[in-house]
Amino acid sequence: MIQNFRRVFLTGLLLILGVQLAIAAEGPGNDSNQIDIQGKLRNEYFLDFSPVFGKIQLPRIIYDNNGLHFFSSTTAAINGNSGLTDEYYEEGHSKIIKNGVIQPVTYELVKDDGGHIIADFSLSVAIVYFMLSGFLVLLVFIYLNKKYSEGVGRETEPKGVLQNMFETIVIFVRDEIALTNIGPEKYLKFTPYLLSAFFMILFMNLFELIPWGESPTANLTVTAALATVTFLVTQFNGSKDHWKEVFWFPGVPVFVKPIMAVVEFLGLFTKPFALCIRLFANMASGKVLILSMIGLIFVFANKFGAGMAYGTSPIWIVMTLFIYMIKLLVAFIQAYIFTILSALFIGLATAEHEHHDAEPAHQ
Amino acid sequence: MDMAYLAAGLGAGIAAIGAGIGIGLIGKGAMDGTARQPEASNDIRTSMLISAALIEGVALFGEVISFLLAIK
Repeated sequence: MIQNFRRVFLTGLLLILGVQLAIAAEGPGNDSNQIDIQGKLRNEYFLDFSPVFGKIQLPRIIYDNNGLHFFSSTTAAINGNSGLTDEYYEEGHSKIIKNGVIQPVTYELVKDDGGHIIADFSLSVAIVYFMLSGFLVLLVFIYLNKKYSEGVGRETEPKGVLQNMFETIVIFVRDEIALTNIGPEKYLKFTPYLLSAFFMILFMNLFELIPWGESPTANLTVTAALATVTFLVTQFNGSKDHWKEVFWFPGVPVFVKPIMAVVEFLGLFTKPFALCIRLFANMASGKVLILSMIGLIFVFANKFGAGMAYGTSPIWIVMTLFIYMIKLLVAFIQAYIFTILSALFIGLATAEHEHHDAEPAHQ
Repeated sequence: MDMAYLAAGLGAGIAAIGAGIGIGLIGKGAMDGTARQPEASNDIRTSMLISAALIEGVALFGEVISFLLAIK
């Protein structure tokens, strides 16, 4: 068992190292001789398996003033006769044509006849990986549900790596996150949401560590959507006391109450906003850090020549591996922190305080 | 344009200083608490992570603004 694990671990390490070397080897060959860090943070409309395989373009769904258009790829959208063109050609550049087909450059679509794109429902990399992680969570939990329905894990001990691993985490989320923050009366109602949030975010964070994988949580829109769900869950389950605390804070002088109302009302929105920014910034900064470490090789090549770059590259590769390990830790910690803060906010909103109005009567 | 880079660098550094002091104080408090009461270490660790995350969130606001200044 441990032998197998060690073999898998070493193979994984070598694979990651190999991909990093492949990316590093590709760099200087580019005509621009620059690594586009901002470009790596952009939400692209193609899956990039670049050094080994090609780019796979994703379907585009565009809603403009002529109605809804479906295209199988960005190339099809540009070459079709719907008036869509790449932003690059709209700026006046000459068309790049390969095999009689106009090639997309920036993948940003605009209308060339002066019309407007009202909404862009296109699949992007972030959405593809978001849905992939959703399907993975669904598959895993349908499988586990089947096992528990058959009695494995309830009447007998849990069987297999998958069930043991997930049971540990599920019970941790239920007991340490939901129960301690929401309270014994209501925690079971919110455990399913917290579990799905935890595993979705965990899987999304871990996609970054797979070669060619992209982490959707390094995209602000995805984390904003997740934080919005937490916000809605919190507000729709708010107790009477919660709303009383927001608009008419008990226990303070009357002239302070309007000020408290403004502060508390803003607080409703800053909490999920901080959730969204925290997750995004943590995941995106890890990405930038890895690119910067790889970029140092080229900085050294520019300053001191190629020999120095080859000589010091093992240091940067090892540093990159170290950051990979940190990112593995951060993937778990950020999923945990998003979930525990969601649970905390839900717990604060759903708490019903004991009323002390009738207290003098008891005495 | 150059001033924007300067502002971004200074802002990122100052945000990191603030977060460093804050998280350091939390770490100190958690260490003290765990040393005095080792049986409460699980609860202490949980609340330490929560408060570290809250401080980190504020620092990350600063870092994101610095990043936006730098890539403007």
